[in-house]
Amino acid sequence: MPGSTDVGGRASGAHLVRKKRLFFPFFLPAVTLYVVFLVVPTLATVALGFTSWAGAGDTPEFTGFANYVELLSSDAFRYSFLNTLLYIVAGGVGTFLLAFLFTMVLRDMRGGKLIRAILFFPNIVAPVALGMFFSIVLIYRPNRQGLANHLLESVGLDAVKFLQAENVTWVVTGCLIWASSGFYITILMAAVDRIPPYLYEDADIAGATPWQKFRHVTLPLTWDVIGVAGVLWTIGAVKIFELVFVLAGPGTYSPPIRAWTLGVYVFDRSFGTQGTPEYGMACAAAVVMILLVSVLVVLLRRLMRRDTIQF
Amino acid sequence: MATVTFDGATRYYAGSPVPAVDGLDLAVADGEFLVLVGPSGCGKSTTLRMLAGLEGVDDGAIRIGERDVTDLPPKDRDIAMVFQNYALYPHMTVADNIGFHLKIAKMPKAERAARVREAAALLDLEPYLDRKPAKLSGGQRQRVAMGRAIVRRPQVFCMDEPLSNLDAKLRVQTRAQIASLQRRLGVTTIYVTHDQVEAMTMGDRVAVLKDGVLQQCDTPIGLFGRPANLFVAGFIGSPAMNLIPTRASGESADVGGTPIPLSPAARAALTSENIVVGIRPEGWRTLPAGDGVTATIEAVEELGSDQYLYCSADTPHLTPDGTAPQPIAVRAPGMSPWRRGDKLGLAPQPGAVHLFDAETGARLPD
Amino acid sequence: MSTVDSRVSVAPRKPPRKPKPAPGSRGLSPLRVLGMAFVWLFTAVNLLVLYWLVSAAFKTPIEIFTKPFALPAHWFERGDPFRNFAYAWDNAGFGRAFLVTVVLVAVSSVVIVLVSAPAAYALTRLGARGADGMTNFVAIGMGVPFQTVVIPLFIGMAEVNLTNDLFGMFLVYVALSLPFTVFLLTGFFKSLPDELEEAAALDGASPLRTFRTIMLPLARGGLVTALILNAIGLWNETLLAIVFLNENANFTLARALFAFNSAASYQSEYGGLIAGVAIVVLPMLVLYLLLARRIITGLTLGAGK
Ligand SMILES: Nc1ncnc2c1ncn2[C@@H]1O[C@H](COP(=O)(O)OP(=O)(O)OP(=O)(O)O)[C@@H](O)[C@H]1O
Ligand SMILES: [Mg+2]
Repeated sequence: MPGSTDVGGRASGAHLVRKKRLFFPFFLPAVTLYVVFLVVPTLATVALGFTSWAGAGDTPEFTGFANYVELLSSDAFRYSFLNTLLYIVAGGVGTFLLAFLFTMVLRDMRGGKLIRAILFFPNIVAPVALGMFFSIVLIYRPNRQGLANHLLESVGLDAVKFLQAENVTWVVTGCLIWASSGFYITILMAAVDRIPPYLYEDADIAGATPWQKFRHVTLPLTWDVIGVAGVLWTIGAVKIFELVFVLAGPGTYSPPIRAWTLGVYVFDRSFGTQGTPEYGMACAAAVVMILLVSVLVVLLRRLMRRDTIQF
Repeated sequence: MATVTFDGATRYYAGSPVPAVDGLDLAVADGEFLVLVGPSGCGKSTTLRMLAGLEGVDDGAIRIGERDVTDLPPKDRDIAMVFQNYALYPHMTVADNIGFHLKIAKMPKAERAARVREAAALLDLEPYLDRKPAKLSGGQRQRVAMGRAIVRRPQVFCMDEPLSNLDAKLRVQTRAQIASLQRRLGVTTIYVTHDQVEAMTMGDRVAVLKDGVLQQCDTPIGLFGRPANLFVAGFIGSPAMNLIPTRASGESADVGGTPIPLSPAARAALTSENIVVGIRPEGWRTLPAGDGVTATIEAVEELGSDQYLYCSADTPHLTPDGTAPQPIAVRAPGMSPWRRGDKLGLAPQPGAVHLFDAETGARLPD
Repeated sequence: MSTVDSRVSVAPRKPPRKPKPAPGSRGLSPLRVLGMAFVWLFTAVNLLVLYWLVSAAFKTPIEIFTKPFALPAHWFERGDPFRNFAYAWDNAGFGRAFLVTVVLVAVSSVVIVLVSAPAAYALTRLGARGADGMTNFVAIGMGVPFQTVVIPLFIGMAEVNLTNDLFGMFLVYVALSLPFTVFLLTGFFKSLPDELEEAAALDGASPLRTFRTIMLPLARGGLVTALILNAIGLWNETLLAIVFLNENANFTLARALFAFNSAASYQSEYGGLIAGVAIVVLPMLVLYLLLARRIITGLTLGAGK
């Protein structure tokens, strides 16, 4: 802040030095924990990705890119990767479309705040709890159907095996959209609320339809926030694990590989209870996760880049 | 082009028991420039927004031409609005801003571009067509907002304090531009301002509002020369008219020991003996001390072209409630040799006296 | 002085109960009606889901599956309405897990804030060179999926005998929550005015004192928000708990629920399972009812800026 330091002159200069001395004692504890528990393990994961290692009792053996080559030819990994991508893209598109629809309608609707608060709640519920809840709701058992099939049958439709491996990815996508939409609606609505109302009034005079208002006013003026929300979505969707594990699987061990995500893959190859662990492979898959996030985030930023807007 | 008629238009806001605009009756002629003026919160914007369709009308009706538009959505009213803060879309260029309404109306691109260019030429905006509003000066933004209204070629312009965000000098300039533009286009215009100078200089007629109630609607000269009540008398004119509360006794009212004659019609209309005598600063003649109301100068305001003297009467008239009388403002020619402490005599010029009933506030007939 | 208006003074009318809306908004276009219907439907489903969850926690499996919307009856008639909760609490280890979780979450959240607040202060207020770069360095941690650190972390913790250990869990929780918390708090510290700090400096207060007596109280809102958000996050945390805790005595609620899942469906103990879900969810619901605004703005803060 130029100018504001002038008042104190020399006194604040001395104070500044004393303040700077405070920096390390304040910053060090946090950054030490951060480096030891996050940065070093990340680097270790990258390193272990180039080894073959079965965990305790075995010694890591450098194998170069062998793990990655094996990943490429592995069905489990292919399913994991594609499913993860599906969650990011299909889930993202669904969530954002839903959020956009809500911003269009909620902007001048009474009770909007209450609706937002209700929709937000699933975001602070543990994904395991959501998963279990859905697994009971979606269960397929003739004569004693879960809620969803109960409703389907009560309107005369056939019950659906929602949790079968070939359906479950789409079902999880649906659950994911349902559970996260409130978060993104809230983020977008907060941005919409910052748009001056007179712009919408001018659009009213112009005779704009709700869609035109969204297209010409809301969307361009919330673009930055949408970009950030997209990044958040990507980060969140890459690590999806509990929901899939609980919904698709028998519970304590891994679900069929058709339903896997990268998160499940890493877990199964390291801590899953079946067979000997393959820490090297798991780490390689974890590296893929990081790469996927990075690539998508960079791509998204590129795509969404634009001059900042001043009201 | 069209007339605009408010027919008992009333607007309540949720949570307020008194209406923001109360039974407004107002007829605006085709092509007229009507200014709505009044203190802050008197309901000017609300009136305009009712006309534009941005507020509902709780009672009464609004007509544009022969059409009853009370229940029509804004887009079907064929009006254009210039907002106080211009409401420019920050992400669009000047050209896109001006052409936005035409784009929404699905006008073909070529025709749209031609109209935008035409409006830009009219407003000297051509060099800026590709800029975003953030990179324009206040005056340029104001002109873009005007441009957006013009391209619609509407029947009615609604302008809500379009100049209040400009500095004083630019405001005077733009004032003249808007007035001449309106005259050239001949579009019926309702213009809101709280600045009475703007109102007097721009309007064909001026409507004065207070607390949501129309006080008077007249030409600037009519408003200035025959204010309908105390509020208008005090609101229009600067410095304000001297409003001297006093008592009527017999055929005259006493001001500083000098009788002001009352006509029989005025006496008949009076509801009590409390009366207010109004004389504008320029309505006084200055005389040598001893003639007329003898007064002492307490302050001198030199403006160069004019001089304003603030005087107190030596034999103060009795105010009905016994409070000390306000100093009397008197206009004298600029550079006059008056000094503080000087004594002088004051007499109203013929025809410069306005009389008001102190109880009802209404103007008394001459 | 009053004005000439007979209408106001003579007959004060009653204002309409509800002012008319602007004509444009009243004309409900089909699209708008559809949109509003959908929004309300979606919201109603959410509420219904909550009702289903709470009511099912008091039902028998048969009631759950055959009468999903009915009020619970059987256990009430038997005079044991909390049977499912009792089952989860005693037989499935939720009682102990509840205690473990409350203590672990409370201690971890407090420590996270205690470590993060000075760091955030140092990054925003001490005028250190490269502070922005370091803020980004820490913030990037928010984008790292836990899966990428969990393997080396597990091995390392095992080396020092901190796996299957609540203290180890606590360390991991504190460390992995830092990026988000530091990022959140830098936002709060940045928004504080400079003047008070400068005034304190001119009065000769030491920087440490300024931090303790001026900045911390000013940032209290942010600190409380950080505390609550971390508590919510850790309450719900599952992956790390699954990896690091494998003994019933150490289970957190989410971990216990995870373990209970397969056992419960095997024994058709759906009542107990839903009660377990409710035990995890309901404290969050209560917290949410009390602090919804704070939670929502806190969680969406980073994105809005
Ligand atoms: N949206 C609203 N809700 C409730 N009351 C309102 C609303 N808008 C205006 N009012 C009230 O209605 C009255 C008239 O407001 P209006 O905006 O028309 O005044 P104005 O004459 O334009 O004043 P200004 O010169 O300050 O713009 C005010 O008392 C105001 O407080
Ligand atoms: Mg106004």
